[in-house]
Amino acid sequence: MAEDLVLDTAIRDWVLIPLSVVMVLIGILRYFVSKLMRSTPTPDAKMVKEGQVVIRARNLKVGANFIPPKSFRARRFYFSNEENGLLHVPKGEAQNPQAAMFSDPNMAMDMMKKNLSMIIPQTLTFAWVNFFFSGFVAAKIPFPLTQRFRSMLQNGIDLSTVDVSYVSSRSWYFLNLFGLRGLFSLILGDENAIDDTQRMMQMGGFGFDASKSLGAEKDGLDIIQHEWALPRFEQRAESVLRKLVK
Amino acid sequence: MLVSSSKITRAREMVTKTEEKQLNQLEIQVDNGGGGTWEYLCLVRNLKVRRSEKVLKHGSSILNDQKKRSALGPDEWTLNEQVAIAAMDCQCLGVAQSCIKALQTKFPGSKRVGRLEALLLEAKGLWGEAEEAYASLLEDNPLDQAIHKRRVAISKALGKPSIAIELLNKYLELFMADHDAWRELAELYLSLQMYKQAAFCYEELILSQPTVPLYHLAYAEVLYTIGGVENIISARKYYAATVDLTGGKNTRALLGICLCASAIAQLSKGRNKEDKDATAAPELHSLAAAAVEKEYKQKAPDKLQLISSALRILKT
Repeated sequence: MAEDLVLDTAIRDWVLIPLSVVMVLIGILRYFVSKLMRSTPTPDAKMVKEGQVVIRARNLKVGANFIPPKSFRARRFYFSNEENGLLHVPKGEAQNPQAAMFSDPNMAMDMMKKNLSMIIPQTLTFAWVNFFFSGFVAAKIPFPLTQRFRSMLQNGIDLSTVDVSYVSSRSWYFLNLFGLRGLFSLILGDENAIDDTQRMMQMGGFGFDASKSLGAEKDGLDIIQHEWALPRFEQRAESVLRKLVK
Repeated sequence: MLVSSSKITRAREMVTKTEEKQLNQLEIQVDNGGGGTWEYLCLVRNLKVRRSEKVLKHGSSILNDQKKRSALGPDEWTLNEQVAIAAMDCQCLGVAQSCIKALQTKFPGSKRVGRLEALLLEAKGLWGEAEEAYASLLEDNPLDQAIHKRRVAISKALGKPSIAIELLNKYLELFMADHDAWRELAELYLSLQMYKQAAFCYEELILSQPTVPLYHLAYAEVLYTIGGVENIISARKYYAATVDLTGGKNTRALLGICLCASAIAQLSKGRNKEDKDATAAPELHSLAAAAVEKEYKQKAPDKLQLISSALRILKT
């Protein structure tokens, strides 16, 4: 049976609250610093065109049955012919998005800025927490938890006898690091409330690979069976008019 | 039966009935001094509707009142821009100039203010200078869609539709999913009686927004104008689509069906019976005629005899 601990109110006043407040303030500071460092990306005409081609090809795919068969065939040929079709990407030309990213110095610079605004504050705050607050039991969660949560909630405390619902100061830091999105969305507005979990996920994903999406659209267009919907509309119009004339 | 551009005005705004009702109610309230001026101006801006006289009147009243203006905070500059555009539309160039001057002092070197300056040059009729201003703005940002569109507008204003078409085609090479541009191009082609090209543009519009009946209607009218049995049969199908999408409330489409039926009958006079049966849709024709007569009976009974005789002539 795990023991019940009595937590000193000084821990609440000098560990729990300062940690939370500092984490929130650092999050806000980081947002404003990254806003200052952010450079407006100049759109590339080729990328814009490829995006527009994809939209237009999707429109064709969705609305294909609303235009006559001849018009559809002409458009499909325009998009997917092997010589100069808009959706046709020659094999040698398909560029690796990672290579494209690192060949563009602005992109690499932006990545470095993002990394700096994320890694430096994290390293400093973690060092600060480790130095001043290591080994504290900072809070108790008001509901029972299973043993699996121990490694998550009691980082820095090696006591198997302490109940799982007690949270160590270091774990409290991590919980704040990954769980303050809701608060930031209230303070900074929804679109700015990216928490660290999402930042890490974003760092993993590289640039948009146009050749893949163009290829996918081309395949989608190639397999469409055109079936003109307009002849059906004549019957539907008849039934509409019958009701109207009654 | 050529396509008039007037019927597209409703599509241009693309405002729902409820939004229009809300806007009109707010407009009446503001006109009668019931407050809500800023809300009205915001709604006009958000719905992208053209109510220049009202915007100029009510916007100026806020800008001229120091207390009201300072209450807006940073929105003051948005209002300045809105009033400037409305003033140019109403040819109150002095008001526009003062608004733009205020924006220039607040945002020196801003591209957005630069665009307004070029717009003012246009309003003054200084086409060459406006063109130069737009060209220099495009050098800084060649992907600025609004500026490309203004250049097309200048060509139209100068009565050079062929240059406008050329510019729009160049624009659509890059921004090919911009359906407003396709619609403008369609209208330009119609003005030059280039019906096949206009038909292509309307097909693009139908692809991007298949549930908008006005595009089906415009396409049907272009096909009818091109002529030939095949095109007229297709036109009838698109008129039928318009009838279906509008619940039979579009008189133009109903008359279109009658005209198509008449034209098909005329064109297939020498054909054998099987071909005639395949192309004719007698029930649709008679239902459309009955629907037109019913509508005239309700809304314009004095013209009922006129329309009835016209429909009889089409049937024979």
